[in-house]
Amino acid sequence: MTGRAFTAIVTARLSAERRTVLYAAATAAVAGLALPREPVAPVFFSCAAAIVAALLQSPGRQAILDLCEESAPLFGRELARAKALAPCIVAAIATLAYCAPSIALRAPHALETVAIAMIAAPACALVALSASVREGAPRALYVALACTVAAGAYAIATAGASLSGELAFCALVAFVALRQYGEALARFDPV
Amino acid sequence: MPVLRMRDARFFARGAPVGPVTVDVAAGERVARAFPSARDAAITALMACGIVRAGAGSVLVEEYDPRVQGAHCKRVAGFVPHSPLAIDESEFERYVAYRAALWDVDPMRAIAHAKLLLERLDGVHEAFAYPIVGALIASPKLLVLDRPQSAYAGAILAAAGPRAVFSTHVNDDAAAAFAPARDDRTVVLQ
Repeated sequence: MTGRAFTAIVTARLSAERRTVLYAAATAAVAGLALPREPVAPVFFSCAAAIVAALLQSPGRQAILDLCEESAPLFGRELARAKALAPCIVAAIATLAYCAPSIALRAPHALETVAIAMIAAPACALVALSASVREGAPRALYVALACTVAAGAYAIATAGASLSGELAFCALVAFVALRQYGEALARFDPV
Repeated sequence: MPVLRMRDARFFARGAPVGPVTVDVAAGERVARAFPSARDAAITALMACGIVRAGAGSVLVEEYDPRVQGAHCKRVAGFVPHSPLAIDESEFERYVAYRAALWDVDPMRAIAHAKLLLERLDGVHEAFAYPIVGALIASPKLLVLDRPQSAYAGAILAAAGPRAVFSTHVNDDAAAAFAPARDDRTVVLQ
């Protein structure tokens, strides 16, 4: 896969969901004005945004992009990498928008909260992407798994007081989830 | 070697089974086939270009098997869906550039090629012309058409040029319009 194809897919996916990204960022910024003192709200908000952004990649929402990607000479793992970046970027934008007021007003632990959320959100997005190519119970199971990852990452970062532990956990989850998503895309039949 | 060879290809997932379909398309040949239903026609077209994998039987696109070499098949075969493309003229160049990026074609060359193809498709509604142009800018060896509009058969075949064309239809008349010189190849599968 060329860099141009990778960039084209990420750009097209973000462009197609630009209104959703804008609304998510605006809502996040307003919610962030409440200046949460605990990291729980920003972390779970970011993870929820990541899961929703991942589910927005479900086949059928962007028919033209879906058709182009399915008929293009790309391997499942290549397509997975490109499609996975879009919800991660959406989640990062929503997280930054949510935490921007806290950072601007120098609220205590604001940067630590951003770090916890920014590490957890991509892992949740990558797990939830596998739900986007499934239906029924398997779809619900992957969404539940993504929520569990969010809870696990939060617990490691706060109760375990280990940001590096959270990073290691999320990196492992993200690696496995991305491979799983690539396999799912390689076997996916758009009928 | 045929550019497309399907032997008793069947599809089982989701709903009534499709097939068996057996067809050979040689380089430069135009083969049109009528099927009992729109679903059968659509799934057969998708199987012919490697987007959907056959559950039984075999499909070869050139020497590539879609079950293990899907990306290679998609480099050989260009797919044109039945549905019109819901984009307007202002988005056309962006659409071409996007497809050019996915197929690793030079964008300027792709846009020039697309404009030339649009001239050849003069008279074809843009919503039907754009997907054909999109499929042809990568210069596939095989063009697979899912239930194309028979009224545009002449223009579509002219735009396809000398490459092989395989089209699926839901009635004999439409199939005959896309394979006028090979009516013997036009059969209704039961």
